[in-house]
Amino acid sequence: MLRVFLSVLKKEWTTTRRYPMNFISSLITIYIIFFLIFIGYRTIGMGNPDYSENLESIIVGFFLWTFAIAAYSRLSWGIMSESSTGTLEQLYMSPVGFNTIAIFIVISDFIISSLLEIPVVFLMMLTTGRWLHIDLITLLILFIPTIGGVYGIGFISGGIALVYKRIQSFFQILQFLMVLFIMIPVEKYPAAKILPLTLGNHLIKLNMTRGVPFYKLPLQDLLILYLNFLLYFLAGLFIFSRFEFYARKKGILGHY
Amino acid sequence: MKKGEIVGILGPNGAGKTTTIKSILGLLIPDGGSIYIADRRVRPKDRWIYRYIAAVLEGNRNVYWRLTVRENLEFFAGIQGIDPQRARKRADYLMEKFHLIKRENDQVRLLSRGFQQRVAVAVAFIRETPVLFLDEPTLGLDVESSLNLRKTLKELVTQENKTVLLSSHDMKVVEEVCERVIILKNGKIIANDSISNLKDLFKTIAYRVEYENSLSPDLQNQLKGRFLNVIFNRRSFIVEFREPNELYDLMDLLKVHDVVIKSLKSMEPDFERVYIELVKGGS
Repeated sequence: MLRVFLSVLKKEWTTTRRYPMNFISSLITIYIIFFLIFIGYRTIGMGNPDYSENLESIIVGFFLWTFAIAAYSRLSWGIMSESSTGTLEQLYMSPVGFNTIAIFIVISDFIISSLLEIPVVFLMMLTTGRWLHIDLITLLILFIPTIGGVYGIGFISGGIALVYKRIQSFFQILQFLMVLFIMIPVEKYPAAKILPLTLGNHLIKLNMTRGVPFYKLPLQDLLILYLNFLLYFLAGLFIFSRFEFYARKKGILGHY
Repeated sequence: MKKGEIVGILGPNGAGKTTTIKSILGLLIPDGGSIYIADRRVRPKDRWIYRYIAAVLEGNRNVYWRLTVRENLEFFAGIQGIDPQRARKRADYLMEKFHLIKRENDQVRLLSRGFQQRVAVAVAFIRETPVLFLDEPTLGLDVESSLNLRKTLKELVTQENKTVLLSSHDMKVVEEVCERVIILKNGKIIANDSISNLKDLFKTIAYRVEYENSLSPDLQNQLKGRFLNVIFNRRSFIVEFREPNELYDLMDLLKVHDVVIKSLKSMEPDFERVYIELVKGGS
């Protein structure tokens, strides 16, 4: 299994390197969007007593949002492009199973995106002059289940892509939904903890803006976060495998 | 299919060749029937079959165009679970066999179609499965590239004792590589036999005669009236007999008319013609 994972990771990394302009321009776009939000917020929010804390929350929320978009769209884009190049069926013919390969693709993507987006976060902090707490262990403990849940949604959209092929418009709807999930304040609406991203964003904010380590976070919230992750991830995988079965039944697995 | 057998699957467009291959590969769930691999029944969720079978589908697709030849080979060996060192050695061996060694570090997108196709076939071989499905492996190749690929394929398949199911519209590939042929029409098998047996079905006693002087219209009429079928060309004709003995009658007739014979060749039925006749006649 490890061999298969390392092969997928190596291939994903090589492919990222082979499209340098695509990757660089996506990082620049992320930064420009953030910069515009920052300028807008500074114009409106300057003088507000919560200005500083809100700005830090914007950095965290924006960073999480870009990751979330990459998380749900990567697998679907991958499926769309692999269908058109004819490699999807070859991946399907791996003895470890396509679901496993798909999981390895999203983990590889998570690792590569994390490494490459870190400089952008530093650039965001440099631009705003607000330095967030970087506690790697707590960040990993919170970040993995938060984004992991979104990968569950990524599996659902990946399944839809297997059957319906072109689903870019669906991504736009999800993009707005992700903003909504991040913006809902859990202190005001505790029931929103069951949504993807919402609780994770709240806990990451506590850690990055106030420096609260994972062992000082409410245990109940951590449990909900991990349950939430498992629920969305497994449900996503299940729905993905149903779509995959349907695509095989209809004989459209390799169509594009 | 028996172990080590090379079977060709032929049929007109829409006959069901690719559907059959994809059903066996588990890429398509068939409406009915059952599939057995290594005497085990295959169910739609089974993954073990991919330890037994690998495939090249649709010619030069199936490989990553942004990866190099070596990267492609090692990646597909990796997702098969093959140890990296072993994969490297096998990649070296296959690149040598498919004459890809000089292009090993070139991205596939920069290669010609012939080379891309070789990479796609080599990718199927690197998975080290005993059974290979090759769907149109020579599709779109020029005569020379097709000939080279056929030679390498035949050599490797024999050397590694692979069981192969090959689908192609190129009769030469099928005739050269396959021991047995299955012909499909409208989803049904209309012929399943060795190429030589299929050829025998359409065997005629035919000769091609080349001559030096010309044939008079009278002689041409006599030939047409006497034998089963005569096709005239410039300075040659093809004659089909009902009985082998009619060759003596032909010789006598040509001698009487002072025809100088340059050559006389017995004609074998062409496999392409056999295929067309079978498809035309099959229900």
